[in-house]
Amino acid sequence: MREAYGRLLPDMRVADLKGKLIVIEGTDGVGRTTQINLLKPWLEELGHAVIETGVSRSVLAGDGIRRAKERNSLGSVTQTLFYATDFVDRLEREIVPALRAGFIVLTDRYIYSLIARASVRGVDPRWIRSIYSVALKPDAVFYLRLGLQQLLPRVMFSRGFDYWESGRDLFPALEVYESFCAYQSALLAEFERLSAEYRFEIVDATFDEKRVFGQLRTGIQRVLEADSRENGNLSTPSDWQSYQRVNFQQAFAAALNGNRLAASASAAAQLRMPTASGNGNGHAHRSQGDD
Amino acid sequence: MDLTACVRVGPFEVWSPPRPNSLPLQNGDSHFPGRLFIVEGIDGSGKSTQLSLLHKWLESRGYGVVFSEWNSSPLVKDTTKLGKKKKMLTAGTFSLVHATDFADRTERRILPLLKAGAVVLCDRYVYTAFARDVARGMDAQWVRDLYRFAVRPTVAFYFRVPLDTAIHRLLDARDGFKFYEAGMDLGLSDEPEESFRMFQGRVLAEYEKMIDEFRLTVIDATLPIETQQSQVRQIVQRHLDSAKEVRLRR
Repeated sequence: MREAYGRLLPDMRVADLKGKLIVIEGTDGVGRTTQINLLKPWLEELGHAVIETGVSRSVLAGDGIRRAKERNSLGSVTQTLFYATDFVDRLEREIVPALRAGFIVLTDRYIYSLIARASVRGVDPRWIRSIYSVALKPDAVFYLRLGLQQLLPRVMFSRGFDYWESGRDLFPALEVYESFCAYQSALLAEFERLSAEYRFEIVDATFDEKRVFGQLRTGIQRVLEADSRENGNLSTPSDWQSYQRVNFQQAFAAALNGNRLAASASAAAQLRMPTASGNGNGHAHRSQGDD
Repeated sequence: MDLTACVRVGPFEVWSPPRPNSLPLQNGDSHFPGRLFIVEGIDGSGKSTQLSLLHKWLESRGYGVVFSEWNSSPLVKDTTKLGKKKKMLTAGTFSLVHATDFADRTERRILPLLKAGAVVLCDRYVYTAFARDVARGMDAQWVRDLYRFAVRPTVAFYFRVPLDTAIHRLLDARDGFKFYEAGMDLGLSDEPEESFRMFQGRVLAEYEKMIDEFRLTVIDATLPIETQQSQVRQIVQRHLDSAKEVRLRR
């Protein structure tokens, strides 16, 4: 069952979250957005309903964060908490409802980028982790990994050096280029630490976008296949038998405990199985609403 | 950039910048020349009245006094307003948006002012968040951790008043209760006054628990205004005597 890193937020029910939460992480300019734009149509073609979300896109705090950043006067603790507000708003009102409806949620960055940014700005790492302990554990985190030397030309020749992406708030005394290098290096170091701590699946982003896309597809397919096994996509006889065994065991255990209601529910679930198996793995094909 | 100073992390050479000074967590104010006095209590406890009387007194005696109110950061208050107006705040986002507001006031006002030697007065402080957020169902330890960056006040006054007294005062003074103020988001009751009573009852219970935990200075808020003020001034005076340097020359 899905769980949070720490305690769940009040009123957050997770028992019926059947969708998949897939995170694409990586530093600025590494190609996360490009990949998400490829993954979404691919998944939809396979019949999965997909929503995407990302940092500072919440209705509640998105505009507030943008306004505050324009003024370049945001302290590091305030910045951390503003992003946390944005995150929790999207978690509760976007991510969880989508998971409940059986969607695949593709998220462009998750708590890890936010932890990295705050850590680099000198905020206590234990403090940030305690705040984000309310986050749900995702099904997979794909970290697009690229070194500074490969990152530089991508940023230089596409969008140029942005104030925040260059960590100008941290290194106002440095030239933009030096500031960018220092800041992005620090972020990469932080990502390496997080990679071990949160078990990222590392995707080598030095390749061209097609090969990166290929790596991501393989990874995501594995997540989805694991899902269809758990949910009883009963294509092979052995699966079917083990499924039956589990359910009989549950029914017996419940009966022994005198819990007749649970026993009959469990037995009923079993009777419905053949039809459920005909529906595939539970990702209803839905047309997508407004982004 | 000096790439020779790089360290190897994972497959890449990276340069680790010197870490900027992080905000010390649970600051004691003793490091600062300034003084921080804050007032707490449920709505209708009369704490704001007491704080404004204290403010005038300190000013008349020549101290450099600055006042900071709950929920007043120019960077964050529009977000809070939006969330309240559209009723889109949950216990989680309610807690976080108020912490963001408080963080901005701490980083850009309270902390620098205390370092500069001002007397800072706050109407509501972290204890408000501890009481309200926990009353909304947030984990008590999580909320306490959230505010670890806060400066510990010189004195935290808690204006203790029975629920009924507070409600009578509020009903005399205005028409009704706002949605979040009455805890209507919790669905305790459809009737604002009843919801307010139930929610503030929970908040009051949280305050009571905090008296020992945070050594709040309790003022009996049922006493005459003048009596309370004279108690407050006596206590504040003691902490100013030990910090003569905060006095402004006029």
